[in-house]
Amino acid sequence: MDESDHRMMEIADGGVQPEEEISDSFLCCVCLDLLHKPIVLSCGHISCFWCVHRSMSSERQSYCPLCRHPYNHFPTICQMLHFLLLKKYPVAYRRRELQILEEEKKLGFFSPQFDTHSSSSEANQCSNVLANSACRRCCENVKKIESSPRIENSTDVPKEAHCGVCEGIGNVADEEKNSLLNMDCGSRIRFSVADVLCAACEQLLFHPVVLNCGHVYCESCIVNPDEQMLTCKVCQSCHPSGFPKVCLELGRFLEEQFPKEYALRRDAVQFKQADLKHENPAACTTKDGNKGEKLSWWSDPNSKIHPGCGCDSCGMYPIIGDRYQCIDCTEKMGFDLCSHCYNTRSKLPGRFNQQHTPEHRLEHVRIETIRNQLKLVTGRLDDRSLALLISNITSQASSEGLISAALSTVAREEAESRLAAQAAVTNTGDEQDDSQPTLSFENQ
Amino acid sequence: MSGGIARGRLAEERKAWRKNHPHGFVAKPETLPDGTVNLMVWHCTIPGKTGTDWEGGFFPLTLHFSEDYPSKPPKCKFPPGFFHPNVYPSGTVCLSILNEDSGWRPAITVKQILVGIQDLLDQPNPADPAQTEGYHLFIQDATEYKKRVRQQSRQYPPLV
Repeated sequence: MDESDHRMMEIADGGVQPEEEISDSFLCCVCLDLLHKPIVLSCGHISCFWCVHRSMSSERQSYCPLCRHPYNHFPTICQMLHFLLLKKYPVAYRRRELQILEEEKKLGFFSPQFDTHSSSSEANQCSNVLANSACRRCCENVKKIESSPRIENSTDVPKEAHCGVCEGIGNVADEEKNSLLNMDCGSRIRFSVADVLCAACEQLLFHPVVLNCGHVYCESCIVNPDEQMLTCKVCQSCHPSGFPKVCLELGRFLEEQFPKEYALRRDAVQFKQADLKHENPAACTTKDGNKGEKLSWWSDPNSKIHPGCGCDSCGMYPIIGDRYQCIDCTEKMGFDLCSHCYNTRSKLPGRFNQQHTPEHRLEHVRIETIRNQLKLVTGRLDDRSLALLISNITSQASSEGLISAALSTVAREEAESRLAAQAAVTNTGDEQDDSQPTLSFENQ
Repeated sequence: MSGGIARGRLAEERKAWRKNHPHGFVAKPETLPDGTVNLMVWHCTIPGKTGTDWEGGFFPLTLHFSEDYPSKPPKCKFPPGFFHPNVYPSGTVCLSILNEDSGWRPAITVKQILVGIQDLLDQPNPADPAQTEGYHLFIQDATEYKKRVRQQSRQYPPLV
C-alpha cells in the first residue's frame, strides 16, 4: 500500500470532512440547500428534482417557484449540471445524496438513479465523461454506505443506488487517485471544456438553455423556424414549453470557469448572429409569464384531467386527455403515459426509477371529463341545472372561465334552481351516461 | 410526494438569518415551555421605517408556517386590532406576495417577507382594504390617520 492509498483510506473512512462553501448560484430556491438532481425549468431557473415536483400542482398548471412562469410538464433532470455539482461539491453533494435517499426510502418514492448505462444512452457525451469520474467517486460512497448500519439494515434500497457499476472499477491509476484526492481535499477543481459541450455544435456552451428532456444547448444553436414544437436532437423528445430561456446560473459558472474560451465563443456567436440577424430572446423576466404553454384544455369542459398522475415520458403533469397505466410496474409511484407518448411508443424509462420495460402491458384508464367531475362536485344538482351550469362554463370559456368561476355560480344556481329547471325544459328526461360525456353540448 | 420539506427549509432560513439580517429586525422560532424549538412558528419584530410616522415603533409579528411551506405562504399576524388599512381585524396581513394564488413564490424568504411588510406599513394599498377603520381614515382623514399611526408607534417601543 503506497502513500496515496493511505490517503485514500483516510478520506473514505475519515467521516467528518469540512463541507465546501456553496455558491449562491447553486442553492435551490425552495429548500435553500445545495441543488440535488437539478432540474432547469423553461424559464431558466433551477431547483432540485423533488423541490420542483413538490411545488407543482397535481391538478392545475404549475408555476416556477422563483418567477411564477407557468408550465405544465415536469422536466427531466439536467444530468450535465448534476455531474458538475457532484464534481464541484463532492462532500456536500454526497451528504445531500444520502439525506434524500433516506427520505425517499421513508416515502417509497425514488428519484432517477444514474448509472453508466443510462448516461451513455440518454445523456450528452459530455456528461458521460463526468459520469465515469462520478462512478469512481461512488466507490467511496458505497464503502460508506456499507459501513453505516442504518442503511445496511434496510432492504429496499433501489437496485441501482449511486452509479451501479462501481464494483467494475478495480485498478485506478495512481495519477487519477491523486487528482481525486485533490478534489476531495477541496483544492481547486479543474473542469474541462469537454464536460460542458453543446449537444448541437459540440463546442463550449454559450448562453446555455436546457430543454424539457434535460439536454443542454447553446441558445443560438436552437433553431425553430416553423414555430413548431422544439425537438431535442439527442433524444428526439419534444420540448413543450415554448422557447427555453437561458439558464443564467449555468452561464455564469461557465464564464467564471472558462473566461477565455467563453469570450471567444461570445465573439463567434455574435459574429454569426450579426450575419443572420438572429433574434436574441432575453433571459427570463417575470413579465413574460404568460408566454408559457397554451392551456386551452382548462376551459374545455370535455378535457379529461388525471389529478396527481404525470406522464413518465414527456412529464405532463397532471395528464390531460387519455392516460395509459402500466399494469406490470410494481413501484408505488406507478407508471403512466399520456396519449401522445403512448402513441409514439415512448421507450423512455420512468421518471421515478420505475423498472418499466417495453414488454410491460399498458391499460387505458377511463376517467370523467371536467364536466362530469363538476357533476360529482355539485352532486346535489340534477342533470337539468347541470346543463345550465355547463352553458355557463362555455360562455365564460373565452375569458378565463375556470372551474372556480363555474363553481361560484353553483350557489346562485341553487337559489334559482326552480327557474333553472324551467329554463332547461328542452333538456327532456335524458338519462346521461357518465361514460359517454361527448353528448354534453347537444342540450343547448 | 407528500413528505414536506417545511422543517428543512426553515432550518436553512434560520441559518441564513443568523448569518445576515436587516438592521433592527428580529426573527426567531418559538421556544416551547419545555425548552424545545418549534420551527413552525416564528416571533418577529418589524421596525418602523425611519423618516415615516411608523418610526420608533417595533411591531410584533408572528409567522405561522404550515407543513406545505414553502409551496404555501406562511400566515403573518400582527396583534389583533392592529391599525393598518391592509391588516384584518384578526391581525392577519393582507399582501399580494403572501397570497398563494397571486404573488407567493416558494423562493420568497423570511427576510423578504419581513422587509415587504415593513414597506407595506408606510405604503398601504387602498385597492385591497382589510379593515374599515384604517381604510376610512386613510382615505378620508389624513390628519387623524397620521395621529393614529404615531400613537400606535409609541405603543410598541423597543423591547430592550
